Amino acid sequence: MPPVPAHIAGITRPVDRLMTYYVLKAAMTLIAFPVTVLVLYFRYRTMRYQFSEEGLRMSWGILFRHEVVLNYGRIQDIHLRSNAVERALGLARIEIQTASGSSSSVMTLEGLTDHDKMRDFLYSRMRGASEAKHDSEAGLAGILHEVAQELRAVRMALEKRS
Amino acid sequence: MTAYFLRLLRVPPEPTAPDGSPESIRIFRAGRNYYRWRLVVWAMTRLVGFTGAFIGIGFMMGIRMPAWASALVLAAELFVVGGLILALPFSYMLQRLNYELRWYIVTDRSLRIRSGIWSVEEITMTFANIQDLRIRAGPLQGWLGLADLEVSSAGGGGGARPGGKHGGTGNSHAARFAGVDNAQEIRDLIVERLRRYRDAGLGDAPADIASAAAELLAEARALRGAVS
Repeated sequence: MPPVPAHIAGITRPVDRLMTYYVLKAAMTLIAFPVTVLVLYFRYRTMRYQFSEEGLRMSWGILFRHEVVLNYGRIQDIHLRSNAVERALGLARIEIQTASGSSSSVMTLEGLTDHDKMRDFLYSRMRGASEAKHDSEAGLAGILHEVAQELRAVRMALEKRS
Repeated sequence: MTAYFLRLLRVPPEPTAPDGSPESIRIFRAGRNYYRWRLVVWAMTRLVGFTGAFIGIGFMMGIRMPAWASALVLAAELFVVGGLILALPFSYMLQRLNYELRWYIVTDRSLRIRSGIWSVEEITMTFANIQDLRIRAGPLQGWLGLADLEVSSAGGGGGARPGGKHGGTGNSHAARFAGVDNAQEIRDLIVERLRRYRDAGLGDAPADIASAAAELLAEARALRGAVS
């Protein structure tokens, strides 16, 4: 596995524009605006990302803390979604699915500067995105084959000596 | 006009194909009749909307109420009907755009599906994660020579069902080639590429390794036989 590129590993917080979107989103709830905007504000303030070699971690929440950790290899499919308001702000959501039972997404990455690059990075780490695994398995079969040939040679040598 | 509208909504241009060998990239589009099918569905939902509004108005007219209240009701009725009429040209235009801005990309390793105007969605799925393929067509779709090809990955909890808004997916574990006129061909292409994957040793029981290990075991036994 190549190391995580610096522009991905460096991401720990969502961009400021996400809060702008959250305010607009809360405004859509009309009467519930004060409550919704507070909830979304805390979500924005506490949202943290961490992209490591094997997987990613996302956490948010103060009263109700959430922390999701998942391996890149376990990603089933990636949805890149955006509505017109998000696009006007240059935002998009990346929804990640795993094979767990729930039909809603396991993790939703929000407020990333370059969501296309992030999606491509996640895709490149998905199972089946590269031929790496295939090579290692074919290689393993080859090694087993060679070990068998070595053993055969040992047996031949023994039989010749006796 | 359309170009301006798309710029205003910042609809991204044609999607890029996911990684895979460049010569294997195939881009499918919705069938020509898909637009017609969308128009029929659109017309039917509008009809239901207007019928509902008029039934409501008729119901309200039957009720006796003070003058100020009936003025208020009239204003509300005008608002609803006016809104429905004003929305007509826009939703009509969206049907056309939704048909045009739809891409189903298949490479040798994965597939990507892009759909939607107001809400844009791009699904990426590798073949290694595909669980099953399914083709379905309603009576009207069948008559128009259309079908939906659905590709599901693992998981998907209860209540997940295909067919959300904009022809996207209600089930988030499935990618939908909506309204294609060559569903069988795409299905065969994906199945063939999936098979190549299994042969390459990505399947659940890689035969190569198992047979190599069996050969090794046989050799080790023979060696012991020779020594003892």
